[in-house]
Order: sequence, then structure tokens, then C-alpha cells
Amino acid sequence: MSTKALNIKAGEPPSTPPTVFERTWPSRIDLKQEIMDEVVELLISKGWVVEDDRAWLYLCFDEVVVNAMLHGNEGDPRLEVTLTIRLDALRWVVTVADQGDGFTETAIPDQSQPESLMLEHGRGIRIMQEWLDELTYYRGGSLAWLTRRRADAIPPSV
Amino acid sequence: MSCDFLVVQRYDKIVLAEVKRERLLDPASITSLGEALIAECDRTAKISLVIDVTEVGYLSSAMIGKLVAVHKAAKISKGRVAIAGLKPTLLQMFKITQLDKLFQFAPDAQSVILEYKRKPL
Repeated sequence: MSTKALNIKAGEPPSTPPTVFERTWPSRIDLKQEIMDEVVELLISKGWVVEDDRAWLYLCFDEVVVNAMLHGNEGDPRLEVTLTIRLDALRWVVTVADQGDGFTETAIPDQSQPESLMLEHGRGIRIMQEWLDELTYYRGGSLAWLTRRRADAIPPSV
Repeated sequence: MSCDFLVVQRYDKIVLAEVKRERLLDPASITSLGEALIAECDRTAKISLVIDVTEVGYLSSAMIGKLVAVHKAAKISKGRVAIAGLKPTLLQMFKITQLDKLFQFAPDAQSVILEYKRKPL
């Protein structure tokens, strides 16, 4: 099985595309569904993601929101997660930021190893990488950057 | 262990477990479902477990991981597990992480139940 390297960068994310939505929540796992529903509905209702991809969105956002709340912020409700949606003519970007110290790639099971098949954890990032056009972590891992081409983007004429 | 959205029917060692929930995303549901399925494997040696997920539209990677735990429990019981009615998008998620090597997939529960009846363990 081919695996993509996990992209973790120390610096800040790009300043573009511009932000069209931003909201902050306390790190309470009981809020996860509300957060996901709001963002998923926005992306689909605007036509930026097709309805058939709703399941992919839920899996991706479940992964990054849970990681931010439980691992990044260690489940501390006093700490916050901030979610933004950015948009340009061709793509949408969702970022999820926590207030933690980030993580290293060694914290993620190596999906290329046969023994990883029986692991009960560690598949989320691999699945996300398959559907997203880009998955990058900034700030040493405390900000997840997810991007994919817009479903309503007009392809360039040739 | 009970799970209020799991309907279980037992035909000797063939156990049909129907998941009556569209979303398998919250930790409590995932834990409850996993524990109930593992309990079925623990109580039935050589179990032939059919997990019917026809009604499931969304699941998390944590739920996929929990199904791996169920598979392990079935193997300990010297049994087998099939997942029936998995939507194409969700099947793709299993294939990405090569879990199609671990599980048998069937379009519907009845077809695999018939197969299991024809070929008991």
C-alpha cells in the first residue's frame, strides 16, 4: 500500500485564500456533532462540496476536531478550537486549530507496515489524505489545513 | 452489554447484528456498539457474525477501528465476520486502509447468511 508522508510544518499557514467563516468553540466533545453539522451543511448548501461526499466530510472533520479537542487541547474545556473556512475560485480550505503544542509524525502509526492492519487506531489521516487534495499541519501540528477543489469550480478552458 | 440501536438475531452460531443508526460518530455509540458485538463473539464459539450496516450513512475512523476489535474477538472465538450493506463511499474508506483484506463484504445480509448456512465452520 502506498502511503503519503504526513506534512507537518512549524510555521504559520498561508494567508490566502481569504476566510469566509470563522468560529471558536470550547474543547467539549459533546459539541463535536454540532460543529460538524454546521460546517458540513455550509459546505454542501453553498455547492462547494457535493451531497455524495457528505460522508467524507464527516469522517474528515470528526478526525481533526477530535484530535484538536482531545489530543491538542487534552480535553480541557477551558481551551478552544477554532475552525475557519477559506475560499477562492477553485478550492475550499478548512482549518482546525487547537491551543496545544502540536505533534510529530512518530505519533501516527505507519500504515505501510503489515502489522498496522490490526491496529484499532491511526487510520483517520490516511483516509483523509485519500479524499483531500491536501492535508497539511502547521504550527507544529496544532493547526490542520484541509483543502479540496470546489465542486462548483469552473475548470479553466483549454 | 446492550446497545439500544443494535438488533440481534441468532440462528445457532450465525448471528445477524443489524445496526439501526445512520451516524456512527459519537464515542458513546461507538463504544456501546463495539462492546455489544464483542460480547456476541465472546458468548458464541465459532461465531459467524453478520453486521448489517445498511442504515449507516456516516462513520468515523474510530468506528472503523472498533470493527477491527470486533474482528479480533471473532478470531479468538475461531469465527468469522461479514459486513453487509456497506455503502460504496464507506467501503472505499475500508479499502484505503486495506481492511478489505480483513473483512468479508456482502451487498446484503441474507446472501451472506445463506452462504454461512451452506458452509458452516
